[in-house]
Amino acid sequence: MNAGEREELARLLPFQVEPELPRDRHRHLKEFVMTEIHRDARPARSKWRLLRPAVLAPVLAAAAAVAIAAPLALGGGEAYAISKKDDGTIHITINKAKNPEELQADLQGMGLNAVVDYIPTGKRCSPQPRSQSFLSKEEAPLVVWPSQEEGFTIDPKVVKDGQTAVLEFSVSEKPDLQVAGIWAGVSTGPVADCELVDSTEAPLGPPRNN
Amino acid sequence: MSIRARIRDGDTEAFEQLFDEFARSVYGHAFRLTGNWSTAEDVTSLTFLEAWRLRHRIDANDGSLRPWLLGIATNVARNTRRAARRYDDALTRMPRSEKVPDLADEVVGRIDDAERLAAIRRVYGRLRRQEQEVFALVVGAGLGYAEAAEALGISVGTVRSRLSRARRKLEKFAAEREPPRPSRQVRGDRATAVRFTREEYR
Repeated sequence: MNAGEREELARLLPFQVEPELPRDRHRHLKEFVMTEIHRDARPARSKWRLLRPAVLAPVLAAAAAVAIAAPLALGGGEAYAISKKDDGTIHITINKAKNPEELQADLQGMGLNAVVDYIPTGKRCSPQPRSQSFLSKEEAPLVVWPSQEEGFTIDPKVVKDGQTAVLEFSVSEKPDLQVAGIWAGVSTGPVADCELVDSTEAPLGPPRNN
Repeated sequence: MSIRARIRDGDTEAFEQLFDEFARSVYGHAFRLTGNWSTAEDVTSLTFLEAWRLRHRIDANDGSLRPWLLGIATNVARNTRRAARRYDDALTRMPRSEKVPDLADEVVGRIDDAERLAAIRRVYGRLRRQEQEVFALVVGAGLGYAEAAEALGISVGTVRSRLSRARRKLEKFAAEREPPRPSRQVRGDRATAVRFTREEYR
C-alpha cells in the first residue's frame, strides 16, 4: 500500500485521530510498567516479616519524637522521609518497608489524623473496606497526582476535623524496590485496624467493583 | 546485541527503550480501537506488561518490534478484561490520571468535543471487530500489509480482504452521511493530516 492509497482510506473517516500520550502520563505509565517488570525480573529472596500497624498513636508519637535523631526533613529517618511543602501538601518517601507506625505517628504529629499500613506482596487488609464511610476521591482528593518526584504527595487539607486519612502502601521486601503503590482514602467514621491476611486479590483499598 | 535480542534475554534497560520508542504508537492504536482515552492508557500499560511476559517469543529477525507490540495491543484491546485479570494485582498500583481526559484540552488535542469522538466511534462501529483492527493497523498506525499480517498472526491475503471489506462499508457509510456541517470543520485538521503522514513512514 502506498501513501496515496492510505490517505484515501483515511479520508473515509470524519477526521483523523492521532492521540498524543501526554508527557507526564508517559512518564507515569513507564514508571509503573518498569516497576512491575523489575518486580518480575528479581523474585523475592527473603521471607516477609509481618508488621502490625500502630494502635496507640499518641504513645507512639512520643516514642517517634525521641527515636528520630537529626531528621533531614520534618520526619522520618532511614526508613522514610516526610516533608511539608509550601502549599501545605506533605511529601512522603519510603525507603525501607518498615516502621509504618512511626510514619503514622509523624503524620499525626503534623496534625494529620492518619492511619498507615504497609501491605506486603500477597497480602491485603482484613476487613475491606475498613470503613463504611469513605469519601469519594472527588470529595476528598487526598493523593496529589502527579507527584513531581519520587514518593507520594498527599494533601492534608482535605481531611477535616473528626475524619481519618487511611493510607495503605503496597511494599515488597526486595532491596531496591520498596514501595510500589499507595491507596488513600478519607473516612468520616471509625476505621478498622488492618489485619494482614493472605490474598490473591488486589492488595490495596476496598475491593474494586468491576 | 540487537534490542530484540536484549529484550528477549530479559534486559530491562532495553525494554525501557522500547517503551520510550513505542508507547505513543501503542497508545494511539489503543485509542483507535477503544475510542476511550483512559482505556487506551490501561491498554498501553497492559500491552507492555504482556510484551515483557511474552518476550521469549521475540524471534531473531532484525525488523522493528512495533508490529509485534501493536499486535499485542490489539489482543489486549480485544479482551481488556481478561488481560486486566492477569495483572489485577499490578493494576491497583497503576497511577491513575486524576483528570477526566475526555475533558482536558491538552490531552484531547485536536478532538475537542464529544461530538467528534462520537462521530469516529460511529464510523468504526460500522465495521466488524476484525475489520476495525486491520483498518486501525494499516490506516491508523501505518503498518504495511505484511506487518499488519505479522501483528495479527494472519495472512497478507486476509489483511487485504478485511481491509477492502472495511473500505466498502466506510464508502457506503460516507455516502449516506450528511455533508459535514461547518461547525465540524474544527481547527487543527490540517495539522492532524501532517502528523498522520509522518506516522505512516515510521
